Amino acid sequence: MNTLTTSTTSTRATSSGAGASGAPAIELRGLVKTFRPQRGSHDTEVRAVDGIDLRIEPGEVVAFLGPNGAGKTTTLDMVLGLTDPTSGTAEVFGSRPRDAVVAGTVSAVLQTGGLLRDLTVRETVRMIASTYAAHSPVDEVIDRAGLTALAGRRVSKCSGGEQQRLRFALALLPDPRLLVLDEPTAGMDVTARRDFWDTMHADASAGRTVVFATHYLEEADAFADRIVLVAGGRIVADGTTAEIRSRASGRTVSVTLPDHALADAVARLRTTDGVRAVEERGARVVVTAGDSDAVARLLLVQLGGTDLEIVTAGLEEAFMALTGDSRDLLPDDQLHHHDEELVR
Amino acid sequence: MNATFTLLEMRRITRDWAGMFFTAVLPAFFYLIFGSTVDAKGADIGNGNVAMYVMISMAAYGAVTATTSIGGNAAVERVQGWGRQLGLTPLADSSYIAMKALIAITVAAVPILLTFVLGALTGAKGSALAWALSAALVLVGSSVFALYGLLIGTAFRSEAAVGAAAGTLVIFAFLGNLFIPLSGALLSFAKLTPLYGYAALARYPLTEGYLPDGSRDPLWLPVTNVTVWAVVFGVLATVLVRRGRERQ
Repeated sequence: MNTLTTSTTSTRATSSGAGASGAPAIELRGLVKTFRPQRGSHDTEVRAVDGIDLRIEPGEVVAFLGPNGAGKTTTLDMVLGLTDPTSGTAEVFGSRPRDAVVAGTVSAVLQTGGLLRDLTVRETVRMIASTYAAHSPVDEVIDRAGLTALAGRRVSKCSGGEQQRLRFALALLPDPRLLVLDEPTAGMDVTARRDFWDTMHADASAGRTVVFATHYLEEADAFADRIVLVAGGRIVADGTTAEIRSRASGRTVSVTLPDHALADAVARLRTTDGVRAVEERGARVVVTAGDSDAVARLLLVQLGGTDLEIVTAGLEEAFMALTGDSRDLLPDDQLHHHDEELVR
Repeated sequence: MNATFTLLEMRRITRDWAGMFFTAVLPAFFYLIFGSTVDAKGADIGNGNVAMYVMISMAAYGAVTATTSIGGNAAVERVQGWGRQLGLTPLADSSYIAMKALIAITVAAVPILLTFVLGALTGAKGSALAWALSAALVLVGSSVFALYGLLIGTAFRSEAAVGAAAGTLVIFAFLGNLFIPLSGALLSFAKLTPLYGYAALARYPLTEGYLPDGSRDPLWLPVTNVTVWAVVFGVLATVLVRRGRERQ
């Protein structure tokens, strides 16, 4: 049940300060961020972001989808001016990110952490509001984030979902043209997540550009017009939700192959047209392919396969094939165990 | 400077009753025990009496407790993510530091005021200049320990570490000749410790450098002590803050 009122219109005067009109909301060119290894360790330099080029137009709602450690947060940090790129440039509405933040053109809901526990909800909003030259009225953003009933409550007594709605209220203060959400529902239970996205849906009518990072496929699917798939610090796919879905229209074919023929068969499958991925699971081989009939014929007739199964691939399989990381496709509750520990 | 922000920060501090007790009430209580009730409280020291000597010492202890915990908590807040939240606002680092410094000075003034008022009521005597100068020196000098708190908070990233840092001040206060008069080899060593110079400097308008054991510190000694420790804390805090930033 959504407790929110629909968003009221408010002035955009504060958000037109930075950037030329007609500039893209976000423009990233050759963006690279490397981290030096910890002192005393033998690790090599970590390339968190490894050459990202991306253009997001005003009004788009874009999901940054990728497994943990894909470079999503680091990329968004550079969009927000919290971190400087090692090389390449990031621009927000044609301005340097920090200038866009100062002008109130961009704001963000960050991952868990970073609120003062001894302030009340309303005091927190007042405090952050006081840093802006002009901002939406405090009670209005509290109302839009569905926090009116909690305004007098200490932050330490708010649940993870309530704290996240508070961060959302803070992000609404400058009435930004671009709103960045970094894993906004990490650590929330199902109800809190749905409430949060209801809040976002209510606000989306305002026509602002929204970019959010997530590793929940269903969130990306339900809320974004466009999905940018990130893995290993690079963009591995970029398209409308429908386009990304169509990538998933392939099927997986699994089969048991005789031991002596296994290596040759895998090598041959990998060079076959239309085959996207070949995975060995003991004596069985799992092939993801566009034309499953052709693969099935090849496996049964020429490679001596038995016990053949064909399964239609979902969005998850496409995601796995594209990001090359299956560890992060555990069920949600396992996936978020780690995040919940951080919430405290 | 931002009045709303500063006042809300002040409200947070007044909510922390335990913190306010250790900062403001405990030093005043110590003064009553060590200063106003001892037999020798009326004995002359320099431009005043022993009660005043103890009063300045306790005010100094309260002031550094305040600045250490404010500096430390500011650092812990920042590394625990509040810094990122503030990074999304137009607030400049310099304004933030200026506001925190103002708060630290204001809170440090509370134990100074309380102890000095109690002192005036219970027989602390000294020249008017000694009263004014020592109060000012206690207040200004306490800012060095905001750096100490900042560096501990940045290094250990937890409220517990800040509490421990405030706790170590008790040891420094003993070595700083604040609680009981030291002598001999311990006194020679104590002169190198961080609270010694600060306290000796704050008491200088009263004592002109004379110690309870009859020896005398030349003015350069406390000045050098304060300067060296300010540089040590400042450099370490800067290095740690920079390293913390790189890691993000």
